[in-house]
Amino acid sequence: MRYYFMNQDMKDFFLDVEMLSSQVLEITHEGRKQTLKIKNLAGKRFYSFDGIAWKKLANLGVNETLVSNSEVYKVFRGYKPSGLNKGGAGALITQMPGKVVKLMFKEGDKISKGETVLILEAMKMENEIKSGAEGIIKSVNVKEGQALEAGFLMVEIEETK
Amino acid sequence: MKGKRVLIINRGEIAIRVAKALNELGLVSVGVWTDNETEPPHLEYCQEWVHLAGNNNKETYLDIPKIMNLIDTYKIDGVHPGYGFLSENREFSEALAKKGVTFIGPNPTAVYKMGAKDISKQIAKEAGVPVVPGSIGEVATIEDAVKIAKEIGYPILLKAVAGGGGKGMRPCLNEKDVKDNFAAVQREALSSFGYAGLLVEKYILNPHHIEVQILADKKGNVFHVFERECSIQRRHQKIIEEAPSPFIGNDEAVRKAICETAVKCAKAVNYDSAGTVEFIMGEDKNFYFLEMNTRIQVEHPITEEITGIDLVANMIKAAFNQPLDFKSQDDIKIHGHAIELRICAEDPITMMPAPGKIVGFETTFPQGIRFDHCIYPKFAITPDFDPMIGKLIAKGFNREVALRKVRNALDGLIIDGIKTNIALHKVILNEETFKQGQYSTSYIGTVKPQEKVAVKEEIEAFMLKVAAIELNQARNNL
Repeated sequence: MRYYFMNQDMKDFFLDVEMLSSQVLEITHEGRKQTLKIKNLAGKRFYSFDGIAWKKLANLGVNETLVSNSEVYKVFRGYKPSGLNKGGAGALITQMPGKVVKLMFKEGDKISKGETVLILEAMKMENEIKSGAEGIIKSVNVKEGQALEAGFLMVEIEETK
Repeated sequence: MKGKRVLIINRGEIAIRVAKALNELGLVSVGVWTDNETEPPHLEYCQEWVHLAGNNNKETYLDIPKIMNLIDTYKIDGVHPGYGFLSENREFSEALAKKGVTFIGPNPTAVYKMGAKDISKQIAKEAGVPVVPGSIGEVATIEDAVKIAKEIGYPILLKAVAGGGGKGMRPCLNEKDVKDNFAAVQREALSSFGYAGLLVEKYILNPHHIEVQILADKKGNVFHVFERECSIQRRHQKIIEEAPSPFIGNDEAVRKAICETAVKCAKAVNYDSAGTVEFIMGEDKNFYFLEMNTRIQVEHPITEEITGIDLVANMIKAAFNQPLDFKSQDDIKIHGHAIELRICAEDPITMMPAPGKIVGFETTFPQGIRFDHCIYPKFAITPDFDPMIGKLIAKGFNREVALRKVRNALDGLIIDGIKTNIALHKVILNEETFKQGQYSTSYIGTVKPQEKVAVKEEIEAFMLKVAAIELNQARNNL
């Protein structure tokens, strides 16, 4: 089975995995094949590459994201997604759930790069969401006081160069 | 005191900590759950669970009339507010006093005098305690703020009267900053503490944040439980705390002076519970009173670790007018060194909150580790609450040993599914200025450990993820 990982900048790579038994998996990355052994012990799951050194495998759930320090990867099992909207500098998308506190611009307004478009409150913090592009506000898809999920397209800016 | 029913108006790790102490003392711990916390982990430690209806903090943890109704319905004898929320709210402690319900915290007058930072400064001044220059009382308008800022000189700090924990405060370098930030700080103050009043204060450069733990009873005994250094901060919020302070080090004269000054502050308001007097210490080791937190604090465990005194249990005993576990100041001694790392659901580089759902959690700790937390696999961290999800505490024979232990503990702490600041802590613990204990509150801004957080793709982590999904798939196909 092939797994694709894709980060927020849509950079992707893949791993191939084959389950040889319930306790042995073979994982291939860039032509390099590695065997991963799994053992259950005292209600926990352990893993090893050589069968001698074992480490605890956190009960990693089946959710489709992987967080590595500051990077978040979407995990796709068996297929590579296509047609995802890349966004770009002119599209302001929520990185985390939050609430719109204040809108500074309306549709049709001119905006320059770095200007605060709106204030988003998340975890009791006020975050200034700044424009990544110079242009004209094409659409405003939020209202003050509105609660948003992560990945919501709040404002679109048509870039003028 | 035994058998008294105590309602915990809080959540997360502090609700667990309080419940543990109540159970141990033979009281009945009553925990609450709200409509936006489907599986609150703190209830595991509470003997009784009651419903605090509502979908946001204003309707739940901050709703005084609703809480008063719960108290009537469930025949509650006492309330522990934890930290944040209503822990330093004057109206709340007065309403409880009127009802004859024990507030596990100081008397309402002390809450009022010290809880409101404008009045506390005046009291400290009158008690002969040095204070940071700033506004006397609340600043109502931007014009007033600008006027005071001109008098004391920039940079200044705009902060919420009812604030704490670094929320609702922003530094301003000039008049424009004041004008730009005034309304925003007011909004933050209102949404976090339910009160929009602001203060203006001089901003001291490269200071050390050193605070003294106070423990007092209702018979007029006021003790100090030594100091903590909390200078590693981001956005004016602590992320690493140590006790005793490495900056004070072996300077026993300074330690004695700051601890005795803290006792003086507490006595000035007839303090009768656990509390913390916060000071700013300059590089010359001169210190100024900042504020008094009239509640148990996040970082109380490091004091417990180096003194062996259970602060939460003694706070409860004091509230019910029971004798404390010790008799005199001489019974309280420092043994060794303790460090606390706040584990937060946030990006380790930008340090911005990063809510999400935990999918994996495992620990493999060295001897002597304490982990106060509310983490479990499937725990959802929502934007409604503070991103702190746990406190990793290590105690050692000395600072070096405590550092060794906490470093090893971090390696054995696996939280999967969300961004955490674990990677940032790893960088700080191995950074030279920190290792030598020579850091001020400007550490994050000047040393910038966040820039050294590794961003390389760890293939091993990807392989483990793939293995976990495959194993789960195989199990589902059986």
